[in-house]
Amino acid sequence: MLIINCPYCGPRDQSEFSNGGEAHVKRPDGSKEIGDREWGEYVFIRANPKGLFYERWVHTHGCRKWFNCVRDTSTDEILMTYKLDEKKPNLNNFKSVVKTPSGEPEVGSGNFTVEK
Amino acid sequence: MKSINLKDNQFIQFHQKISFKFDGVKYFGYKGDTIASALLRNNINLVGRSFKYHRPRGIYTCGIEEPNALVQIISEYSEPNTRATIKKIYEGMEIESQNRWPSLENDFGSINNLFSPIFTAGFYYKTFMGPHKKFWKNLYEPLIRRAAGLGKPPKDFKGISNHIHHNVDVTIIGGGLNGLLAAKSFINSNYDVLLIDFEEQLGGIINNSNKISLIDNKEPKDWLKETIQEIEDSKNINILKNTLVTTYNYINHLIAIEDRFVGSKPIEGKVNSTLHKIRTGYTILCNGHIERFLSFQNNDLPGIMLSSSFEKYMCRYGLAPSKEPVIFSNNSNSNSLVYSLIKAGLKPKAYIDSRSGEKIEPNLFDLIRKNDVPLYTNSQIKGAFGNKKIEKILVEDSSGALNEIKCDCLCLSGGINPDVHLFTQSKGLLDWDEKDLTYKPSKPFQPTITLGSSSGQFNFDNLNSDINEKLKTFNVKKLDVKLELNTNTKYNIEKLWEVSPQKKSLWAKSFIDLQNDVTTKDIRQAITEGFDRIEHLKRYTTNSMGTDQGKISSINALGIVSDLLDKNVNEVGTTIYRPPYAPLSFSAIAGRNCYEFYDPERKSPIHSWHLKNGAIFEDVGQWKRPWYFQINKDESMHDAVQRESKNVRENAGVLDGSTLGKIEIKGEDALEFMNLIYTNSFTKMKQGSARYALMLGEDGMVKDDGIICKISDQHFIATTTTGGAATVLGCMEEYAQTEWPNLKVFMNSITEQYATFNISGPKTREIMKKAFPNINFSNEEFPFMTFQFHEFNGIPIRILRASFTGELGYEIYIPSNSARKIWDNIQSVGKEFGLAPYGTEAMHLLRAEKGYIIVGQDTDGSITPIDLGLGWMIGKSKKDFLGKRSLTRSDTIREDRKQLVGIIPSNKADKLEEGQHIILDKEIKSPVPMLGHITSCYYSSTLGHDFALAVIKNGHSMIGTKAYASTSSMSTTDVDIVKPVFYDEDNKRLVS
Repeated sequence: MLIINCPYCGPRDQSEFSNGGEAHVKRPDGSKEIGDREWGEYVFIRANPKGLFYERWVHTHGCRKWFNCVRDTSTDEILMTYKLDEKKPNLNNFKSVVKTPSGEPEVGSGNFTVEK
Repeated sequence: MKSINLKDNQFIQFHQKISFKFDGVKYFGYKGDTIASALLRNNINLVGRSFKYHRPRGIYTCGIEEPNALVQIISEYSEPNTRATIKKIYEGMEIESQNRWPSLENDFGSINNLFSPIFTAGFYYKTFMGPHKKFWKNLYEPLIRRAAGLGKPPKDFKGISNHIHHNVDVTIIGGGLNGLLAAKSFINSNYDVLLIDFEEQLGGIINNSNKISLIDNKEPKDWLKETIQEIEDSKNINILKNTLVTTYNYINHLIAIEDRFVGSKPIEGKVNSTLHKIRTGYTILCNGHIERFLSFQNNDLPGIMLSSSFEKYMCRYGLAPSKEPVIFSNNSNSNSLVYSLIKAGLKPKAYIDSRSGEKIEPNLFDLIRKNDVPLYTNSQIKGAFGNKKIEKILVEDSSGALNEIKCDCLCLSGGINPDVHLFTQSKGLLDWDEKDLTYKPSKPFQPTITLGSSSGQFNFDNLNSDINEKLKTFNVKKLDVKLELNTNTKYNIEKLWEVSPQKKSLWAKSFIDLQNDVTTKDIRQAITEGFDRIEHLKRYTTNSMGTDQGKISSINALGIVSDLLDKNVNEVGTTIYRPPYAPLSFSAIAGRNCYEFYDPERKSPIHSWHLKNGAIFEDVGQWKRPWYFQINKDESMHDAVQRESKNVRENAGVLDGSTLGKIEIKGEDALEFMNLIYTNSFTKMKQGSARYALMLGEDGMVKDDGIICKISDQHFIATTTTGGAATVLGCMEEYAQTEWPNLKVFMNSITEQYATFNISGPKTREIMKKAFPNINFSNEEFPFMTFQFHEFNGIPIRILRASFTGELGYEIYIPSNSARKIWDNIQSVGKEFGLAPYGTEAMHLLRAEKGYIIVGQDTDGSITPIDLGLGWMIGKSKKDFLGKRSLTRSDTIREDRKQLVGIIPSNKADKLEEGQHIILDKEIKSPVPMLGHITSCYYSSTLGHDFALAVIKNGHSMIGTKAYASTSSMSTTDVDIVKPVFYDEDNKRLVS
């Protein structure tokens, strides 16, 4: 459950939004000849990283506008939202404030007995 | 146990008597009493039977941590497992004890106690294994469920809850001393603050004990009143009382439940609880501490309670549960109970401390000596004994001699734990404090701040500096509060988890979890059997797995385990506390999203007409559509559908198609946009004409279909399927914004703005002529797939000549508000031509006869237009449209793709079934190679036999061959594979 900052409406509850998958995936120009593989990758293949991720969201129950965001997939923290025509931000500029809850023994598991 | 009232109390209104029933007997309490305090006032302490052994149990605590005193509230839909220690009584309340039969005093199940030596840890796992799997389900489980357990499920529950959202800067959880001080520093600051307390009165320890004597040189009561007033007056602070924070989620999202009817009976039909969903910048946890108990033989007898709880009953409820309790402690936190007792003119029967004299504070010694209280230092209680109540205890003193003390009440203090549940839910880390013998919050995972005893500060030494330091990130006032205490200043706990029983016996029980009946022996056994990891041990013994999550006992279990394993407690680790902190009802979670609000119902503008005319409805998405119309009660669905469809073929029928999705597309580049969205080409299309169009996904599969009306190159109206309206609009929006932002185009849903009537049948032209006399409906003036705008009696209408039935047909689009007038007019005009309404089922039958598909029924997201035989609809000359490139992928041009065909039984009398497989073998012998399946199947009275649409492998080239259809009775039917058109193949009826 997040507060998402719609670039058009301001901060709103997550329940008003829908996720649209990876952002900045360019649709191949249909008028040009492209191979099955290239087209197949556009249709079916998306990145699924653990960590910072460019993502598309739409304010479904609001202004119906699409926008992009940078989200940390391991913590759900949304670091930035920006309009579609804005430049994609450099991921190196972001430092996730929230720590990741999974995997790392130091935080979150509550099981301190398991020490490597 | 003889209790006495202490009438000098501000919270209990002793002038206002309240009657209630417990197990059918009427008792009296006072306004402000909880069930527990009212029962104690009536000298009742036996309130329930335990989970497994059916042992008599009493009231152990005075708050949310209560493991024993769980009752069923008969007067509130029989709500089970209610904590008697927090639920307030009201006039006429009916309460029952739980897990006993036939009565609480004489419980048949207590026989389990005799067999208890065999009911040890893992008993179920070891015992109920054989002789066959079925025994568990049919015999053991029902038996165990009857014998064990707590309350009975409520009946006919009608509780209503609502949800409230908050978005604040700071949330302070707990309105005790530290919570109030934190709130005080936020007074009139620039932060939005929410202060939440579980109780009706703020104050926490100030109300619950006599620990503090003066605050800022004022009586604590007076200071409290002033401070609360200041906080209430501050505009930036909101206070939620009677509200328990149950859940601490990610990104500072809290869930709290508010009881709206504290101390009164919930009114039926009114919201009785509110679920607060709180989003906060910072969370300040001031939720205090929980006292833990001690394990010794029979430490579960009624009459034993926690010492801080005893004091809370005195201070908060004006009630001393006993005149002379024995106190057993290993720390100085219980000193204030001695002080409170003596202040009230009572005195402890004995004070037993496991610590040696030098660890006990001098002022307690003074108090005890001055009042002649028998003192046992360096001593332990070996056991408590009595029949259904505590009668005597056995004390081993410092010399090792055994002393028997007769008593009716025993107060325990095994130390205190910071209430870390919420902190660990937030994923904060705990650290074991070897000096204070407890887990304390160390590293927060989120912006969480802990204050006071919930942070592990059990003394008040650094009160100001601690709060000021922790709140320094905020721009708030610094605190300078002077505190004077009545008793202890140090905590001084000494390790004591368990006292072993005097005599070894199979029946001697020292409990470690009262709610789940886990004994220290179970823990030993589990470790012997190899369950030495704490999470394994918890599940094997069910320790701390009750609804109280072992609030008063889980740390004791860790202590015992660490001693047994000879490890530090930090190495043993703690189990994870999971939300919710205390049980909350499903009705609270559901809120108003239930009954009629669970999913909205959408109705067409002429819904009321359908209701009056015998419509049986079908749910299509959220819409209610007439499925078929019954002309009389005895007409079966089959008869009605055949009658309706036959009437369309012979006369004329009218269908309410208002639920069809309608999207209006406008803009300079609307034409280009439509060419990109749909497979068809709209460029050469004439203004005022319409076209059946397909929409694909990027994968080339059919996603939706509809009729596109071209008003001009800049203005289109598209219809969609009833269920696909929102998705299609969403898809258009997505592509317009993300892929082709250069196109100037706008789109909006006009589904609910316009009603649609589809009239079709051979007599339709006659009816239309009569209904709209000024319009020329001749084939030349109004050809197939064209539309015209008209006005009828001042109502703007659009008429489209199109048909989904294969007959001559018109669709009339009317603004919703005027729809009923025109509908009524058509009905009256049409009567002489035999016009009758038809429902969706007849529509499905009629379209199937023509081989028209329904997206989602005959397609399933893996069917291309070519598979459907609709290759002609693809604008091949277009450079691009959604999914175009996918239609030439190696997978989509495969020859053995599943393709749409028609199926008719070779023997016309045979029946076909929807969903059955088309196969090539007459005999069903597994594995059966399957060609495909039947997607739509109907009986047609026009054809006189069953027919079906199916998708089968390589179907187009199999037309004209024979195959078999499987049946639900595991046999096969001979079928002919035919073209998917069964009626009027050359469209004569459609276009003339």
